[in-house]
Amino acid sequence: MANVTENREQVVGIGAGAKELATEDMVLNIGPQHPSTHGVLRLRLTLDGERISQAEPIVGYMHRGAEKLFEVRDYRQIIVLANRHDWLSAFANELGVVLAVERMLGMEVPIRAVWTRTLLAELNRILNHLMFLGSYPLEVGAITPIFYAFRERETLQAVMEEISGGRMHYMFNRVGGLKEELPQGWLDRVADAVHQVRTRLPNLENLIHGNEIFRARTRGVGILTPEAIMQYGVSGPIARASGVDFDLRRDEPYLAYGELPVKVVTRQEGDCLARFECLLDQVKVSLDLADLCVDRMRGLPQGPVNQRLPKVLKVPEGHTYAWTENPLGINGYYLVSRGEKTPWRLKLRSASYNNIQALKEMLPGQLVADMIAILGSMFFVVGDIDK
Amino acid sequence: MTLDLVLRIALIVGAFLLLPLIVGQTEHKVMAHMQARLGPMYAGRFHGWAQLIADGVKFMQKEDVVPAAADRRVFTLAPAVALVPYLVVLVVIPVGPGLVGRDLDAGLFFVLAVMGVGVLGAVMAGWSSGNKYSVLGGMRAAAQLTSYELPLVLAASSVAMAAGTLSLPGIVSAWQWWWLPWQAIGMVVFFIAGLAELRRPPFDMPIAESELIMGPFTEYTGIRFALFMLSEYAGIVVLSALTTVLFLGGWHGPLLPGVVWTLVKIFILAFIVIWVRVSYPRLREDQLQRLAWAWLVPLALLQLALTGVVKVAFL
Amino acid sequence: MDCMPRKSENAGMAPTDLPMPSMGPLSRVAPKPMRFILNWGRRYSLWVFNFGLACCAIEFIATSMSRHDFIRFGVIPFANGPRQADLMVVSGTVSDKMAPAVRRLYEQMPEPKYVISFGACSNSGGPYWDSYCVTKGVDQIVPVDVYVPGCPPRPEALLNGIIRLQEKIAAESLPERYTWARSHSPSGETLLRPPLNPPEAPV
Repeated sequence: MANVTENREQVVGIGAGAKELATEDMVLNIGPQHPSTHGVLRLRLTLDGERISQAEPIVGYMHRGAEKLFEVRDYRQIIVLANRHDWLSAFANELGVVLAVERMLGMEVPIRAVWTRTLLAELNRILNHLMFLGSYPLEVGAITPIFYAFRERETLQAVMEEISGGRMHYMFNRVGGLKEELPQGWLDRVADAVHQVRTRLPNLENLIHGNEIFRARTRGVGILTPEAIMQYGVSGPIARASGVDFDLRRDEPYLAYGELPVKVVTRQEGDCLARFECLLDQVKVSLDLADLCVDRMRGLPQGPVNQRLPKVLKVPEGHTYAWTENPLGINGYYLVSRGEKTPWRLKLRSASYNNIQALKEMLPGQLVADMIAILGSMFFVVGDIDK
Repeated sequence: MTLDLVLRIALIVGAFLLLPLIVGQTEHKVMAHMQARLGPMYAGRFHGWAQLIADGVKFMQKEDVVPAAADRRVFTLAPAVALVPYLVVLVVIPVGPGLVGRDLDAGLFFVLAVMGVGVLGAVMAGWSSGNKYSVLGGMRAAAQLTSYELPLVLAASSVAMAAGTLSLPGIVSAWQWWWLPWQAIGMVVFFIAGLAELRRPPFDMPIAESELIMGPFTEYTGIRFALFMLSEYAGIVVLSALTTVLFLGGWHGPLLPGVVWTLVKIFILAFIVIWVRVSYPRLREDQLQRLAWAWLVPLALLQLALTGVVKVAFL
Repeated sequence: MDCMPRKSENAGMAPTDLPMPSMGPLSRVAPKPMRFILNWGRRYSLWVFNFGLACCAIEFIATSMSRHDFIRFGVIPFANGPRQADLMVVSGTVSDKMAPAVRRLYEQMPEPKYVISFGACSNSGGPYWDSYCVTKGVDQIVPVDVYVPGCPPRPEALLNGIIRLQEKIAAESLPERYTWARSHSPSGETLLRPPLNPPEAPV
């Protein structure tokens, strides 16, 4: 509290001189339905003027009981629910489930399926990041970038839809591979879409990234220290923006990432601008990776993309933990099986849940306007918090 | 004489109702096309020209909610306080030689005084709504008003000094083309300060939809809310008109009749207001204050000094 | 926008006899030929309040973007709060914890108001049909005008839903709407009823 009082004097405007006057703190509920929480996160703020003295994220408004429902679905059905908790990274979510099940079954996945999964995971990462690259400027008041972001999203969604039939929830992973063979000429269309997005991405970047007001609003705001990141288990682009150089794609490769040169984007500042830049650069990296995947897949010999599964898929007794680098951070599934056709327990470790906990540390001492900037830069999906 | 006055008043009221609608519809369309969209297309068949009329018809039918926690009298009065000053300002703005509702000797003084009252509407709305977001918005609006009135007045007084009169038609008559570079700084300061006073982006912190829902207007429904919207667009018209009259020489211009020139200039400025909204993020309240006190006020003072020096040395 | 009902209001959720919603002066005195104009106004000026809850909210946003652009139909997404809105689009899973807030925001909207239930979750619970904490259909708590199926529905589906709603508005008469709504809106008793027990899980 002490340094909050010191800071207050620096601010010209609201709250200035508040020390002399007897003031009363105000409790403000942000959410559960508020334009800035994109979803139903609720924050209970205690305000002194416009300065936040206490912040408490209240989660659970989107709790849908996915973990419990996993226990009454068989392994094919689980994928439906798994890709819905973080609706912006559906493909990466289903990937974790099938990786866990395949590991328990000791199943070898055909090489073409592995490369296709890698490609789709990267495309999904771009889709996810584009959403935030559009919505974050919207939160600090720039209304146009999101239209550019969605134009790119539609371009990529078209190829994703062509292969899977879904615009958001792909359901293209199966235990042992993929749902079906790739359509003819699909790779060309992917390469084309990636090319289009790459050439048009500078439009989006120039529109917002160099803007003085945007920089003034985000630079030095909401700094997250590497210590806090370690303590709260923050991961993904948010952690990397504070200099925590950790990316599962490089550090514990799964799928075909071991054979790809994964460039891990990091920043040292740890503020809102660094988080935004991380996201922007990750899009570029992912576009390159997608191109590499396409090139590689062109050279692969013909072959199956999935395994024949038994009518009743039972996973042998045991347990495993499969984690993947989701667009928003580490997403892990802890699968415990008792040899049934449904899991005994499937624990979900989602990225946003941990990431959002750090808010309690970041928000006190900030202005309401900065709170919006910080909240937007934490890149969370409410379903991923509440599961 | 009375017929003349009645005619003038009728014309002004007509312009007051029509011009904001045109600006609003332009905003819909300009924003849409800047964002690769089409904007309203169906209301009124042809390119959605009747969108704002449909809005009006709808707002008239809406339920009129006054929250239980609201200060009822202030709450109901606020939209009128926000809207009427702009109507009054239009009365003294000249659109052509001799075409003015009322030529006041202290026209400029009158305009600036009355425009300040309009902001009170937002403060009243924020205070009386009984809503925490509204209070925050109202406070921000008040803070904005107090800091932006000064550069606005300073910039305007520079023109008055140059023209040697406070009468708006007098200022336009005295205007020469080389005033454009001479008063350029003042024009920029005046326009930015005016934008801030209108609470238009990038200075829309009081409304800040991602922070404060709708700021002072959060609790307003139906026709009252529509009046606030109307006052916002009337504000754009008034600001553009004032900038035109003070800095851009009002009806001066080749070939076309004077009235047309005034309207063209007004709409170009209104277009800039919309353009800025589409392109810029929102400032933070303390950054806005810094902009006002650290940049606009010194710049306005500089302009004032420049005006004085040129006036004494060359004229 | 403090969404959670306070305790005292929760207790007051027992059925009470509310007066007819007070309307703007025009619609009360409107003669019949006026009805066309009034309906036309409501039809093409649907300020929408996006109750974005889950996946479907993203498709809702996609619908407002350049490719689909529902502003063409006069669906204006500038209503940030419920007070300025005419149309509430419930897009996503309504959980039991969220349900009171949905109801409350619906009640904060001024009449005449419309609701589109967007997506399988808000229609019926969707893939969470057997969850212990998901409200199986938002129509249990607010009256719904148009249901849009899909999980999540395509933006085109929402556009179709909006056109259907506009047709409905063009054909309706407000007094009838209120009499109907009064007799069909869920009572306080239904709202306080404990959630349904999910059917037994498949073995």
